[in-house]
Amino acid sequence: MNLDFTSVLPSLPFILQGLGVTLQIVCLAGILGFLLGIILSLCKISKIKLLNWLANAYTSVFRGTPLILQLMIIYFGSPQVLGFQIEGVTAAIIGFALNSAAYISEIIRAGIQAIDKGQQEAAMALGVPYRPTMVNIILPQAMKNILPALMNEFITLTKESALVTTIGVMDVMRRAYQVGANQYQFMEPLLLAGIIYYILVTILTFLGKLVEGRLRSND
Amino acid sequence: MIKVEKLHKSFGKNEVLKGISTQINNGEVVAIIGPSGSGKSTFLRCINKLEEPTDGKIWIKGADITDRQTDILKVRQNVGMVFQHFHLFPHMTVLENLTYAPLKVKKTTKSEAENTAMDLLEKVGLAVKAQEYPSKLSGGQKQRVAIARALAMNPEIMLFDEPTSALDPEMVKEVLDVMKTLAHSGMTMAIVTHEMGFAREVADRVLFLDGGVLVEDAPPNEFFSHPKSSRAQDFLQKVL
Ligand SMILES: Nc1ncnc2c1ncn2[C@@H]1O[C@H](COP(=O)(O)OP(=O)(O)OP(=O)(O)O)[C@@H](O)[C@H]1O
Ligand SMILES: [Mg+2]
Repeated sequence: MNLDFTSVLPSLPFILQGLGVTLQIVCLAGILGFLLGIILSLCKISKIKLLNWLANAYTSVFRGTPLILQLMIIYFGSPQVLGFQIEGVTAAIIGFALNSAAYISEIIRAGIQAIDKGQQEAAMALGVPYRPTMVNIILPQAMKNILPALMNEFITLTKESALVTTIGVMDVMRRAYQVGANQYQFMEPLLLAGIIYYILVTILTFLGKLVEGRLRSND
Repeated sequence: MIKVEKLHKSFGKNEVLKGISTQINNGEVVAIIGPSGSGKSTFLRCINKLEEPTDGKIWIKGADITDRQTDILKVRQNVGMVFQHFHLFPHMTVLENLTYAPLKVKKTTKSEAENTAMDLLEKVGLAVKAQEYPSKLSGGQKQRVAIARALAMNPEIMLFDEPTSALDPEMVKEVLDVMKTLAHSGMTMAIVTHEMGFAREVADRVLFLDGGVLVEDAPPNEFFSHPKSSRAQDFLQKVL
């Protein structure tokens, strides 16, 4: 095997420009997915049966079908459903947010149910309404326990964001592929992309550990 | 102050409370005793509606809490509860545990809530622990903080569910002492307890529950010296 990076290195800035898109998708989809995940998890533990059912059905569908299919349906289906073509990045953010919400809601549900029931009862006994009980008492404790699992989900999201290549988004992955296609030489640009993803994930892992350590030092 | 009429509670097919009627007056201290599984906790938890009564009525200061129209959150602000396992909020300092509900629910100002909290911590002897997290406290200290947390809402009624059962023996007294002071201050109290000495000394009345039935309701001297029912006699023989 002979690798020759000299002809590819000039294209590195071009590939790196994709980081912006990748980060944008990962961050926005991560935040939206997290918020939607909280809402779904609250529906799952609600006393209202209809909400349980809806949230479980949602999770089941998004976990039971390929992510790339979901992305394509959102992207290529938008003209039929919405009457106009949405942008690839928008489709990607929506798709990843909806998909990760399904996984995150399961993580949060488990985290909430792991909290001693006495916490909620103590808040109830003080006359605290449901919403502040969740926001101030239950969720902060649940978050601490599920942070590693959430971080995992975020890392998965970062790596799978490369799928947006299939709907024409110019992320790191697609740019690397284009460089390869232009130069009839795929190995080197793809390896570069691999290194970029790896560094990204390593940074995320490090940040996750940092936050976790902060939270643990509280007790 | 508290009036209970024909209270029934079932979990599925299991009827745990079988028609309990009683009354707890202003400033009265009532000890609730009985064998394990007799329904003491369930009875107590119905009073602030942590359990939904299956049938019957409960009035707290004239408000029928079994009525769906009654704002139970409002009623609970006036009914403090202390649990066997404390249930302090572990992610908050001792001071935050005490100020959280007054700030959130009563919209008290921060300085007022903190002043009240520090006064209460002073009273339970834990002012120096105000900035600690609960995990740094002993069991007895945790329970004293839990009592102070309930008192921070300035309730007229306090419910205690075996407040000393999870404590090491040497820590029982410090908690009972706090409760004793509270009882002498005129607080209306309902206390589920296995501490017969405490019940005898502090309670105005003893309620003896067995199998979900209120078998005896008598002043402590009478109950402990001359229990009327054979069930109470058996029970006292075992625990005394
Ligand atoms: N949430 C629940 N679901 C189903 N059954 C319950 C529930 N809570 C209590 N029970 C049942 O109700 C009965 C009475 O329980 P309760 O906790 O009121 O008794 P207790 O007198 O407080 O006993 P102990 O002295 O052991 O605390 C028990 O048989 C218990 O198994
Ligand atoms: Mg009990």
